[in-house]
Amino acid sequence: MKTLFALGLFALCLSLSPAVRAQTPQATPPPPAAPRSVQFPKPVEKTLANGLRVIIIDRPGTPLVTAQLVIKNGGEVDPPELAGLGNMLADLVTKGTEKRTATQIAEEVEALGGSLYSSARWDSTRMGVDVMSSKIGPAVEILADVVRRPTFKEEEIERLRQQTLDDLTVELGEPGSIARYVAARVIFGDAPYGQPLAGTPESITRIKREDFLKYHSRWYRPDNAILVFGGDIRAKSAFALAQQYFGDWKKPVEPLPTLPAPKLVVTAGPRVVVVDKPDAGQAAVLVARTGIERTNPDYFRGLVANSVLSGYSGRLNQEIRIKRGLSYGAGSQLDTRRNVGPFVASAQTKNQSALQVAELLLGEVDRLATASVPDIELNPRKAVVVGNFARNLETAAGLVAQVATLAVYGIDFNEINRYIGNVQSINAADVQKFASSHLEAKTTSIVIVGNAKDFLQELRQKYPQVEVIQMEQLDLNTALLRKKQLAGP
Amino acid sequence: MKQRKLGTVLTLVVALLVLSTYSLEAVAQVSIPRLNFQEKTLANGMRVLSAVDHSNPTVAIQVWYHVGSKDDPAGRSGFAHLFEHIMFKATKNMKSEMMDRLTEDVGGFNNAFTNPDVTVYYEVVPSNYLETLLWAESDRLSGLTVDEPNFKSERSVVQEEYRQSYLAPPYGMLEYLIEQQSFTMHPYKRPTIGSIEDLDAASLENVRAFHETFYRPDNATLVVVGDFDPKQLDAWVAKYLAPIPKPAIPLPRVNVKEPERTAERRITHYAANVPLPAIALTYLTPSEKSPDAEPLQVAATILAQGESSRLYKSLIYEQQVAQSADATPDLREDASVFYFNVVLASGKKPEDVERVLLAEIKKMQDAPVSLAELNKAKNQLVTNELRQRETSNGKALALGSSAVLLGDPNRVNTDLARLQAVTAADVQRVMTKYFTANNRLVIYYLPEAAKTVPTTSKTDDCDQQDHAPSKLNQNGGKGK
Repeated sequence: MKTLFALGLFALCLSLSPAVRAQTPQATPPPPAAPRSVQFPKPVEKTLANGLRVIIIDRPGTPLVTAQLVIKNGGEVDPPELAGLGNMLADLVTKGTEKRTATQIAEEVEALGGSLYSSARWDSTRMGVDVMSSKIGPAVEILADVVRRPTFKEEEIERLRQQTLDDLTVELGEPGSIARYVAARVIFGDAPYGQPLAGTPESITRIKREDFLKYHSRWYRPDNAILVFGGDIRAKSAFALAQQYFGDWKKPVEPLPTLPAPKLVVTAGPRVVVVDKPDAGQAAVLVARTGIERTNPDYFRGLVANSVLSGYSGRLNQEIRIKRGLSYGAGSQLDTRRNVGPFVASAQTKNQSALQVAELLLGEVDRLATASVPDIELNPRKAVVVGNFARNLETAAGLVAQVATLAVYGIDFNEINRYIGNVQSINAADVQKFASSHLEAKTTSIVIVGNAKDFLQELRQKYPQVEVIQMEQLDLNTALLRKKQLAGP
Repeated sequence: MKQRKLGTVLTLVVALLVLSTYSLEAVAQVSIPRLNFQEKTLANGMRVLSAVDHSNPTVAIQVWYHVGSKDDPAGRSGFAHLFEHIMFKATKNMKSEMMDRLTEDVGGFNNAFTNPDVTVYYEVVPSNYLETLLWAESDRLSGLTVDEPNFKSERSVVQEEYRQSYLAPPYGMLEYLIEQQSFTMHPYKRPTIGSIEDLDAASLENVRAFHETFYRPDNATLVVVGDFDPKQLDAWVAKYLAPIPKPAIPLPRVNVKEPERTAERRITHYAANVPLPAIALTYLTPSEKSPDAEPLQVAATILAQGESSRLYKSLIYEQQVAQSADATPDLREDASVFYFNVVLASGKKPEDVERVLLAEIKKMQDAPVSLAELNKAKNQLVTNELRQRETSNGKALALGSSAVLLGDPNRVNTDLARLQAVTAADVQRVMTKYFTANNRLVIYYLPEAAKTVPTTSKTDDCDQQDHAPSKLNQNGGKGK
């Protein structure tokens, strides 16, 4: 069944003001022709007897299929002292099952031309394969094998532990990564979203085999999972594959654990944190605060408000890159999750401009709340939201990711068809109201990772409360962010 | 490859596959739609390639200019890429950033990239805007009117791009060294991003001269893929692009030949912010037009794509000496460079990891790869290509690279046959021919803290060279 997906609507009013006063035909852009529309395939679904929800989006064309198995929990359920458990487990399931070794799994999937991906997000864990349509059967068989029958061999755990530690070592050499980890602690403190999703060197070292076993039996179960197929595959054959490889996946007798109610995030007040990394070739500058949860009725207001700030012609990039040449790119992210997620605006700049960039970021966040966005600016930003959305659905992988996300948060698939209308209905007052109620600059924190000697003096004059942490003293295990034995003044 | 905006870097897959029907031994048949395209050359020398695809109401427009960083003017490394950024500033009839008004503001997007051989501008817009974009591309091909403040501001952006790509990430400078040190004579020895000093020296006069020299219809290929009516396209091309005159002066072309390497060269580079030591090996290989290009791609895939690849299995999984291990065939128009870069696992010595890597290369020379490995690599390459061709923009990239870099747009439909023809003996032959000790450059990329420890005697320390990061840092600080 096909549903009309009125893409043509995104041909919004175009601000071609200089064009109107043209003298020669060649001096002005020709106007657009009438917009066209497109059909978007509607997902079909059914739930197997064991509780597994199976969703199919049939779109012939390029002979590719993506199959994704979603576990409806992710880093949010990692115990605080074992941060990174869910993410490491997602990797570990691909390292050996009752019938295949790690090498056999990789060889078999890659022989099909595809690859197996598996990683935890905050509220879900996603494992999938992306293959030519003729190879989807054997690919799904391997996917089911790793999800259902991982062996968690000690040898593989130790190997993966060492790799994860090395990966963290490399990641913590990058100013941008450090800044994002620090920002999460600044916003969420010791609550789950404050932990690094991939763990810390200390938490990764603590994880034991029994922790994996416990986590796997608690969360990897058919009534806590969703299987999504997208691309060049018919619903009938996809359902048959689901039944064949997941139909006998037993639902445990004990009921699915219920998630604890989200604790209200109470931050003591905005912080200004500098991580001094003298060898940083550039400073990463972030301003960060809480945003909204995915199911918040203000979701579309938030999307549009963020788009006014972010994107190539968004205000942040206009002010920081286009007008001043201070960065290769500035933008923001309203990361909506099961619970209230973060809002982060960021740019990388030479160390000497760190304060200037922080103030520009904060200034633009503030302006969104204090002044109305003119329609001539707002309408193109709405077109950006709609255009990005439509393009994400062009590939099988993009289509599956979108549908899986809706399924994780229990949102009706009709939202896909209402998406454009929802975006279009947002007006300047909505944006300002959203910004003043959810993105207040006064309660927004600043995080800078860079060579502090190039900007600290200036920064301290403006923000005397600044906390300066030497890179080697940084501790991502706590909201204090500082190793205890080395705690400075 | 440097691009105007940060974002997903489109993989430019050159010299790859896709045919109407695909089949391999022991695997099921997959049919891939043939890319039916139209080709014509206008009187002013501009080539126009187009392919209709109504699956989305969007259209991809690309203009390929056959000029890249190898054409940077003397003393102006990084100029072709800086120029690419300037192409989004004012033109005769457009204000700065008007290209964004015509694309982003209507729900589309634009970007551009520069590599050693080409500069490519692309837009994806709702298909009813096709005529508008053809007008805009015509306008910026006809001339730029950028002023000094806009030029300087964009130059600072490119300098920040340099810092973000090469100074901030831990192994950025290793990539820079691979580019810079692999060639000795050919202008490929200048990294596409250039240097802060050369960017500082660039002027508006350089912009004018570069546009006049290289931005001309007989050096441009227009590619249009997506939802359009071919007759309308022809009419708009005639109206907006055909009238641009072809200059009388000849197009300059690089004709420097990179000499063959005659002995192994070794470099040790100490840098700040090296979390784990790394090594790189580079080998000179022939042009992407050479029949050896496909066997080299298959070899790179067998060596390093995925967790069943030889390097992953040996260096990362079994011996656990590496944090990451990559092999890149980096195919180019005049001469290519096949390189390995390996970040060491903690506690490992570069000498030991080099030995393991060389042993893996030797295995590829001593015995043919198995049929299973060969078929796996072909399946992986076909799937990569299929993914690229899911979008109109991806199809246009495949078409443009066939026409401009391989010299025949039809390669877009015949390269699969070339790939299928690759045998285990071909792979063994190219591994033996090019991966010799004399054709090897070895780079050790080590943390500054390791400097006190004496290293192997054969190394020359390139820390004193012009492009050492410490110096760039100082100069970078003065930018804007």
